[in-house]
Amino acid sequence: MLELIDLRRRFGDVVALDGVSFEVPPGRIVGFVGRNGAGKTTAMRISLGVLQADDGQVRWRGDAIDTAVRRRFGYMPEERGLYPKMRVLEQLIYLARLRGVPKDRARARAQGLLQTLEVIGDPGDRIESLSLGNQQRVQLAAALVHEPELLVLDEPFSGLDPVGVDVLANVLQREARTNGVAVVFSSHQLELVERLCDEVVLIDQGQIAARGTIDALHASRDRNLWRVEVRGADDGPWWDVVPGVTVARVEGEAVVLDLGSAVDPQRVLDVARGAGDVVSFGAVRLTLAELFREVVS
Amino acid sequence: MSGADHGAWRLVARRDFWVRLRERSFVISTLLNVGVISILILARAAGGGGPPSFDLGVVGTGPIVSVANDAAALGAEGKIAVHIVTLSSAEADQALRDGSVDAVLSDGRIVGFHDVDGTLLALVQTSAHAAAVEAVFEQHEVPQAERDLAARAAPLDQLALEPRSEQQTADAGVAFIGVLLLYGQLFGYGTWVATGVIEEKASRVVEMLLSAIRPQQLLAGKIIGIGALGLGQLAVIGGFAITLAAATGAIDDPVAAIGPAMLVFAWFILGFAFYASLFAAAGSLVSRMEELQNVIVPINLTILVSFIISIGALQDPNSTLSIVASILPVSAALAMPVRIVLGAATPAQIALSLILLIGSAIVLVPVGARLYAGAVLRTGARVKLHDAWRAR
Repeated sequence: MLELIDLRRRFGDVVALDGVSFEVPPGRIVGFVGRNGAGKTTAMRISLGVLQADDGQVRWRGDAIDTAVRRRFGYMPEERGLYPKMRVLEQLIYLARLRGVPKDRARARAQGLLQTLEVIGDPGDRIESLSLGNQQRVQLAAALVHEPELLVLDEPFSGLDPVGVDVLANVLQREARTNGVAVVFSSHQLELVERLCDEVVLIDQGQIAARGTIDALHASRDRNLWRVEVRGADDGPWWDVVPGVTVARVEGEAVVLDLGSAVDPQRVLDVARGAGDVVSFGAVRLTLAELFREVVS
Repeated sequence: MSGADHGAWRLVARRDFWVRLRERSFVISTLLNVGVISILILARAAGGGGPPSFDLGVVGTGPIVSVANDAAALGAEGKIAVHIVTLSSAEADQALRDGSVDAVLSDGRIVGFHDVDGTLLALVQTSAHAAAVEAVFEQHEVPQAERDLAARAAPLDQLALEPRSEQQTADAGVAFIGVLLLYGQLFGYGTWVATGVIEEKASRVVEMLLSAIRPQQLLAGKIIGIGALGLGQLAVIGGFAITLAAATGAIDDPVAAIGPAMLVFAWFILGFAFYASLFAAAGSLVSRMEELQNVIVPINLTILVSFIISIGALQDPNSTLSIVASILPVSAALAMPVRIVLGAATPAQIALSLILLIGSAIVLVPVGARLYAGAVLRTGARVKLHDAWRAR
């Protein structure tokens, strides 16, 4: 398990991390979300030892992290980077060997990954001759080539086409479910995070604003929202007759009502049927994006 | 440092070595060096190298031929070869034009193409003058004893306050080629270290690398890999130069040139150790290749000034400037080998110079590494030295 414990980091007068703590358990995929500049990249860089924290600790399996341990981590930096003139296969083997993988094993693993990730082109091509999407797949291969125990991926989905997104999602799920790899990735594509991740960590202005499973987040944030669409209710706000009901928002012909904790939805339905023809009636579950907006607003 | 740690810098060094070896600029610089040195050696073999030799054309018969023969005999005493070529007056001009003779002697005059070499002219003048004197002696029936007296009085003994032996002249040639090579290698390979650092920064691959290995390993691997290539190139060029010089007779004893060549290798290693970490630190301050020149100019100027002082030391290896330059670490790698080859450096000066250079390299490498580690992940605007120093 990767543990970030009370990380703090300043850049001059800017506080990038202000006591950030969370965990990434093995076999789990953790989504790391937050606005631009919230501190995601800083936290990830510190986890990889690329940047030093002013204060706080990063632990792997309960121990402080040294170079030998860090070598078993896989990293995809926000700033994509490979040697442009180096050949694809040569580059992957080189990066694996820097992390202590023997040459033959590195070669076999790199060749396998280029197939799994459906990288189009010859393994002898120079990186700079590949399309950006393909370069990104090679970048992911570079993070995976040494069979890491932990994957830290900064915006891995940005710039990928829908097919690329599916390929990457499958690879991440397989690494976590089958190989027991601990995976944490940052993304602004929240529907993807919702679909893929077991847990979400939401960071805002250098502090953890919320964290937990998607369900737990909903449980803590969801208000008792119901969406109702009634035709022929011309007499104004028909729901006023039920005490405790407030309007969350209006969506065209429909209205989203917050029933609080005490109001029975069946009572509201009865009132609605009295006011006109009920076209639709159902509970509303906030999307992660909506949760996100609520938290950071 | 664990065993796996130990291997990381070697992987980096090997990559940098092979990648640069395959670069076009490496091939071009090798060919350029070989070309320049060939020209220097061939010029020396044709001109100053070995004892001088002349082809003297002679037009006419009788006394003029004996003057020429006397000049050749006189030259032979001073190990100057004068070959006599008998020509008709019609052939004379053409022989001068195509260079098959250096001068043409005919009745009462000697003709060169542009001019007549001073040594050859002196030999012929002396012979002609001796023949004229001989004729006068003959006419007045001067006794042999007086003729011998007159002949003995003629030559002056030539002396010098600080005579330069033939070996020293050869040494100066070797030292010149050596310092030229050293300058080129320190400048070129130092710049390559800076370029390599900027490449990794500009392509952002440095963050991938530093998630796997420590900045010091990356820096050490880069410096050692590029330095090894520089040394290898020196060995190839040095081997070529000595072989060519021996084959063309520009140097008499190729084995004697191996000493100075080894000296050049050793001082390249010392000088590179001193400068390379500075080049790396300078490179790490900027993110784009266009900014390279801005940051390495101070280092390049230092090397250039050291080079100019070292060229001066070839002429005057014992001047105060030469001595100081050969001891100060910034210029020692270029100035000291010159003074050693010329036999001007005292053991105490060499020892002091080595201690200062090695000592300052030991201090500078971690300073350079710290600046490098502090700046190499900062992309965008040029990083201030102060910020780089305090970054980690």
